[in-house]
Amino acid sequence: MIQEQEDHKPIISIQDLSLKFGGLQALNNVSVDIKSGEILSIIGPNGAGKTSFFNCINGFYHPYQGQILYQGRDLTRLKPHKIAALGIARTFQNIELFSGLSALDNLMAARHIHMKRGALSGCLFFGPTRREEIAHREKIEEIIDLLEMEPIRKKLVGSLPYGERKKVDLARALCMDPEVLLLDEPMAGMNVEEKEDIARFVLDIYELKKIPIVLIEHDMDVVMDITHRIAVLDFGLKIAEGLPEEIKNNERVLKAYLGEE
Amino acid sequence: MSAETLPQALRENYKKYGPRVVAMRVKDRGIWQEYTWEDYYLKVKYFCLGLVSLGLEKGDKVSILGENKPEWFWAELAVQSTGCAAVGIFTDCLPEEVKYYAEHSDSTFAVCHDQEQVDKFLEIKDDLPKLKKVIYWDPKGIWTYNDPILLSFDEVIDLGKGYEKKDPDLFDEMVDQGSGDDIGAFCYTSGTTGLPKGGMLSQRFLVESVLLWGKLDDWFGKKYEYLSFIPPAWITEQAIGVAGAILVPMVVNFPEEPETVQENIREIGPHILFFGARLWENLNRMVQAKMMDSTFLRRLIYRLSLPIGLKVADIKSGGNNINLAWRFVYFLAYHAVFRQLRDRLGLSNVVVVYSAGGAISPDIIRYFRALGIDIRLFYGSTEQGAVSMPRRGDIRPETSGPPVPWVEIKLSDEGEILIKNEYPYSGYYKNPEATAEKVKDGWFYTGDFGHMNEDGHLIVIDRMEDLKELAGGKKFSPQYSEVRLRFSPYIKDALVIGGPDKEYVTVLVNIDLDNVGRFAEARHIAYTTFTDLSQKEEVLDLIENEIVKVNDTLPEWTRTKRFVNLHKEFDADEDELTRTRKLRRTFVEDRYKDLIDALYGDEEVYKVEASVTYRDGRKGTIETSIHVNEVQEK
Repeated sequence: MIQEQEDHKPIISIQDLSLKFGGLQALNNVSVDIKSGEILSIIGPNGAGKTSFFNCINGFYHPYQGQILYQGRDLTRLKPHKIAALGIARTFQNIELFSGLSALDNLMAARHIHMKRGALSGCLFFGPTRREEIAHREKIEEIIDLLEMEPIRKKLVGSLPYGERKKVDLARALCMDPEVLLLDEPMAGMNVEEKEDIARFVLDIYELKKIPIVLIEHDMDVVMDITHRIAVLDFGLKIAEGLPEEIKNNERVLKAYLGEE
Repeated sequence: MSAETLPQALRENYKKYGPRVVAMRVKDRGIWQEYTWEDYYLKVKYFCLGLVSLGLEKGDKVSILGENKPEWFWAELAVQSTGCAAVGIFTDCLPEEVKYYAEHSDSTFAVCHDQEQVDKFLEIKDDLPKLKKVIYWDPKGIWTYNDPILLSFDEVIDLGKGYEKKDPDLFDEMVDQGSGDDIGAFCYTSGTTGLPKGGMLSQRFLVESVLLWGKLDDWFGKKYEYLSFIPPAWITEQAIGVAGAILVPMVVNFPEEPETVQENIREIGPHILFFGARLWENLNRMVQAKMMDSTFLRRLIYRLSLPIGLKVADIKSGGNNINLAWRFVYFLAYHAVFRQLRDRLGLSNVVVVYSAGGAISPDIIRYFRALGIDIRLFYGSTEQGAVSMPRRGDIRPETSGPPVPWVEIKLSDEGEILIKNEYPYSGYYKNPEATAEKVKDGWFYTGDFGHMNEDGHLIVIDRMEDLKELAGGKKFSPQYSEVRLRFSPYIKDALVIGGPDKEYVTVLVNIDLDNVGRFAEARHIAYTTFTDLSQKEEVLDLIENEIVKVNDTLPEWTRTKRFVNLHKEFDADEDELTRTRKLRRTFVEDRYKDLIDALYGDEEVYKVEASVTYRDGRKGTIETSIHVNEVQEK
């Protein structure tokens, strides 16, 4: 069990976030702080608004009300690529990779936000451009080593099994050198062994990079095991927030999950 | 060469080749990183001095637990430089097993690969009072560990550099003091019976017998590339990879990960390599399976070429010359199929190819010979090193070749192989009774059953204790049938059963999940688990056919009459296999006693409730029913 990181400042402060799709209230006045140096889990039943919450943070959706402050800057109106460049990286529930490229090329593509040379010098590929490419490759190799992806480095992503593709997705998020990492169900559809691997990687990343990690996850064992704090969403409302122990015994949470008697 | 010990030989290489010649290559971060003899020597030197500064003393033992990596070799040579012995431990050992090795060998230091192995030592360190430090070379995941017993490889190197300033001549003095009588390494016997015993290997054994072996097989002066792949805890890797590479010298190449070997071997194109019998079988199985998936035209060319290759292989094995016509068609077949096949397998450049440590089907040897690869199936043991060796130009599929020149072989009246060796091991550690038990009148009793053919080639059939007698009093070797059964792409493992109380031979079969799965897929047979698949009627028929094929080549009384497809795979974690993947026969027979009774009974279905140990150590039970099947005579 990991100890609470009480005295850390919020890195992302989300206030009164509300999002609507037509008549459907996807998020309703949700306020959550993502603090530096914590692993925060967002849990909730299906359709609770967890992924919408992520999509608001990284700019896919724009809430009609509320603020997302990242180091004092409001993100709510920014485009996704701007937000990525600010250092907020995420993975996707449905794995959005280039399936026709190798794992390595997928990761190199993710480094492009850090590449300074233009297309023309990229075509000529010598001197500084070459050095830049090598430097980026070195960064990527560190991540490949971290996530034990050596055997799949040169394999086409489309030919990889599901669990491996999830790993590439995670690696790609890391390639951006993020300041904050958002993981959308990184363990969904995996067997016990693969889940344990990913849980270990998440902890490794946390220890190595010392960045806050926000996790959407359904596997309660994993959530209780590796996270510092949990926020619970239900029908777009935040119904609870606190330590794993508190959440475990929270009546509203139990009701949301088990239904009312 | 006058070197008596490996560290002395390493120092000579350093003086001779220095930074100009590559000694090792390891794939890291997707790139082959090179280490010259100078790098090798300096790493060994500083690591050695680092250990000395931490309190390593002459005569100590150091456990090394890791995959094949340069650090393994550096650590071993560093340990040997002080006159100490390196104890290799297999990486997939459970913590209790690691504890046994470390405790029994009285290790004062442990050198580990990564977090996985470090965790094992942290779990057992309280039971190992002699253990001073645990050193790791891959820091991944260990960043936040703060146990004072831990130290990284680089930290030890730095300690060594500091220590050198204090006592600059110490390392040279220690290496000078080394003698052939020093014990350089412990190799634990794989222990198909009882607790593993620690075979002690002296520097003389490591240096002189390996030099002779190298001369015999012509390793010298060829700039050979060697692929380090078999566990260094095993004597063969000690002989070829550690000792051979320094003495010859050869370049040792380390694959990136165990899973990337197939890719890495292609990039290296090694000249000399050792694959265990299983691996050759797996390669063959893989080729067969891939050909099944291939296009019609490719399959056709393969089917036309293979018989040509096999025919030429047979002519060669018979010791005859190949006439011009056969040379020509073989040339065509070689360039149409075999050359590309060898390239795909990474075997384009291989010259000296070994296998040992378990029987291998002559069919496999014949198959690879058709591709132009001569597998030398030598015979040896932890205690005696290489004992008999097929010689170039006279390699026959069914023999292990004539005895090596420094060894004398005799057969006991029961057919047991006895050995007199100029360079034997130095006994079992802390077990003089077992050491004495093995030797009578100067002959070492191997416990293996075999015979010499008329040309003086040794043929090893089986372990003495594994020979079985049937009710009629006729002897047979279960293992002999098993290797032949394993040649089928659909059978991964087989345990052949018989005994004085049994009228006929039966077999427990482990299907090969990949290939049988592919077979089922092609026929639209739906299945859920290994257990389910193994009991499908079509699969039972398939396996029966495979058994019939083998039965046809065996004498009447050793033919299989009934069989079952086992509901689970044999597993080293459940003690059914040794760590080198040999079947623990007695244990398995005991474990499946009721099932075996059913094989000799009348029922056609047997209900089983078996306990299984999962990878993470949890135990569970599964319930299922197994079909007992008759093998029809055809």
